[in-house]
Amino acid sequence: MSETRQIAIYGKGGIGKSTTTQNLATGLANLGKKLMVVGCDPKADSTRLLLGGLAQKTVLDTIREEGDDIDLSSIMKEGYGGIRCVESGGPEPGVGCAGRGIITSISMLESLGAYTDDLDFVFYDVLGDVVCGGFAMPIREGKAKEIYIVASGEMMALYAANNIAKGISRYARTGGARIGGIICNSRNVDRELDLLRAFAKELGTKLLYYVPRDNIVQRAEINRKTVIEYAPDSKQAHEYEGLAQAIVENEDFTIPTPMTQGRLEDILIQFGLMDNLEDDYHI
Amino acid sequence: MAKILDGQRYKCSLAAMQSVQAIPGAIPVLHSGPGCAAKLSDTIGSSGHYSPNIFPCTSLNEKDVVFGGTRKLRTTIENAMKVLDADLYIVLTGCIPEIVGDDSVSVVDEFREAGKPVILAETAGFRGNSYTGYEQVLDAITDQYLEPAPEGEREKGLVNIFADVPYQDLFWLGNYEQLAKLVSLLGLTPNVIFGYEGGTDRVRDIPKAEFNLLVSPWVGIEPMERMEKRLGIPFLHWPNLPVGAFETSKFLRALGEYAGVPSDKVESVIADQEGYYYYLIERYADLFLETRVMAKQFTVSADAQYSLALTKFLVNDLSLNPATQFVVDDTPKKYRESVAAEFSNLNHGIKAPVEFETDSWKISQAIRAHDYHGYPLVLGSYWEKEVTEEMYGHYLNISWPVQDKVVMDESYVGYQGGIKVIEDIYSVAVQRWN
Repeated sequence: MSETRQIAIYGKGGIGKSTTTQNLATGLANLGKKLMVVGCDPKADSTRLLLGGLAQKTVLDTIREEGDDIDLSSIMKEGYGGIRCVESGGPEPGVGCAGRGIITSISMLESLGAYTDDLDFVFYDVLGDVVCGGFAMPIREGKAKEIYIVASGEMMALYAANNIAKGISRYARTGGARIGGIICNSRNVDRELDLLRAFAKELGTKLLYYVPRDNIVQRAEINRKTVIEYAPDSKQAHEYEGLAQAIVENEDFTIPTPMTQGRLEDILIQFGLMDNLEDDYHI
Repeated sequence: MAKILDGQRYKCSLAAMQSVQAIPGAIPVLHSGPGCAAKLSDTIGSSGHYSPNIFPCTSLNEKDVVFGGTRKLRTTIENAMKVLDADLYIVLTGCIPEIVGDDSVSVVDEFREAGKPVILAETAGFRGNSYTGYEQVLDAITDQYLEPAPEGEREKGLVNIFADVPYQDLFWLGNYEQLAKLVSLLGLTPNVIFGYEGGTDRVRDIPKAEFNLLVSPWVGIEPMERMEKRLGIPFLHWPNLPVGAFETSKFLRALGEYAGVPSDKVESVIADQEGYYYYLIERYADLFLETRVMAKQFTVSADAQYSLALTKFLVNDLSLNPATQFVVDDTPKKYRESVAAEFSNLNHGIKAPVEFETDSWKISQAIRAHDYHGYPLVLGSYWEKEVTEEMYGHYLNISWPVQDKVVMDESYVGYQGGIKVIEDIYSVAVQRWN
């Protein structure tokens, strides 16, 4: 049996990490792979489409209410295609330390034996940015060795991606974390594909897959389903299957080379992003 | 790269707990992990009504880190008030709640708004050390517990005394008592919040005072400024503990002048005190002359308070020569110049070289490298014992950490304090003949 591939998905808040991760997981499950998806976001919405709703009690809520002596079954539920779903959860907004919460949850999963040998993939869907040590937990201590950043051709998405790359390079030596590529979740921005390719190249990685924009994603979400489950024959479902295949086949893992602010802005200017910003800028 | 510090000289800000424990009737409520509490409660000499091991602590664990510890803080304070009969509960926050952003201020405010005697000092360890923690306790008292005295309720001649950091300074209790005696000698009324005569009543008397007397090179300056601003209490700043006749007489003159005590009264007190002091010096003149093994040069390695006080005493009263003096309390940069200047304010135009250094290894190296022209005299912390013994020198443990002596109410302050320093130093020197 091959080793479990542990994969962390990062990206700017609202970029579509959770949607992409769940559609990707569904595609992999359809290829016969065994998966676990761990939501590392206090909002706890990383497994909603796999479970058909927010059916999952988070690890931290369970610990808060029941103490440390809990069963794996109370925090892990099987969703579409037998995908094991876990939500780390977090404290109430504005109190406590969500970063430490992620560490606590992942340690709890380990001690409860959630990481079984039969898993082909473990996905960590991590919130917005690597804001502190806690949110870097999935890529520390040799957990997720593969990282994908979800981005679009929008300026802030690329700023965030570059920042995340800094976090990855920090842990590259000790934790063995490598970037596997950029996943473009398209926003239909001008020259998006070219920009993302140039950006990925500068970052020392590649554009792994370009997921086009399609409103069917939203319709599937309203129905609490991934696109692959909701409309298996749609064009978008095939795109996610393509992404799943790209992940399976990917063998390019590098230590990212984050850019200086100046260099990043040069690239954005080169692709006309800053011009547009100046032309259209209004609050 | 992290700096390696060899031989620590103080604890973290949460050592503010020791200042609270020195005020009878007040109790610290620790909002911290249990380890902080255990480490800080090892001070000897703070048993009694509330021993160092009897205090409420939220004992934060991982759950409290993730979900926040304010609920636990609230219940801990509530329950502390049920089972402990303290007059004043001083909540001290450790590193954990301040890193995760617990809103301890709001919790404590709930109690204060309900008229309960609960105040807060945010003393996360990373904020500073034992000295700054002490200052934070004073500030918390000023801001949250006291109100300016109403018109006409100020008491002429009432003097609040602030000097040593309790327990960080092993002679603190005796020193406060001696300072109070000196103040009394001039006909003034001392008000000390720490120790046997201290307590929460004395804390509540603070606003009535005519002025504050701060006897310390830098620790306490900011709290005094704060009291002046908020409570309207001016302060007299005397830059070191007065040890021995020369400094004590100077101190009494300055205090008398500031407080408006007639100078003939001050001079008569001084004459009286000096009479006995010099009677003793004269009687033991043969000891000073004949103890040929006595050191010619000395080093004090202590906080600014002791380094300065003992340097002045040893130069002015005992005519010893200063080698380099070490100030080990991490004196804030803005005070270093004024503290250093005092080391040049010595009789006979003598200037003592001074270094601000917190690394005990470096201090030992410097002592080892210096030629003391005879046996060195080193007054310092326990960390200086090894190097002094290596050099066959005379050593006294007068600064934290203290491992080889027990001090109950001994003091080095005043005329009597100077005699005590002489007794201690010569008790070491004469042992060479044993």
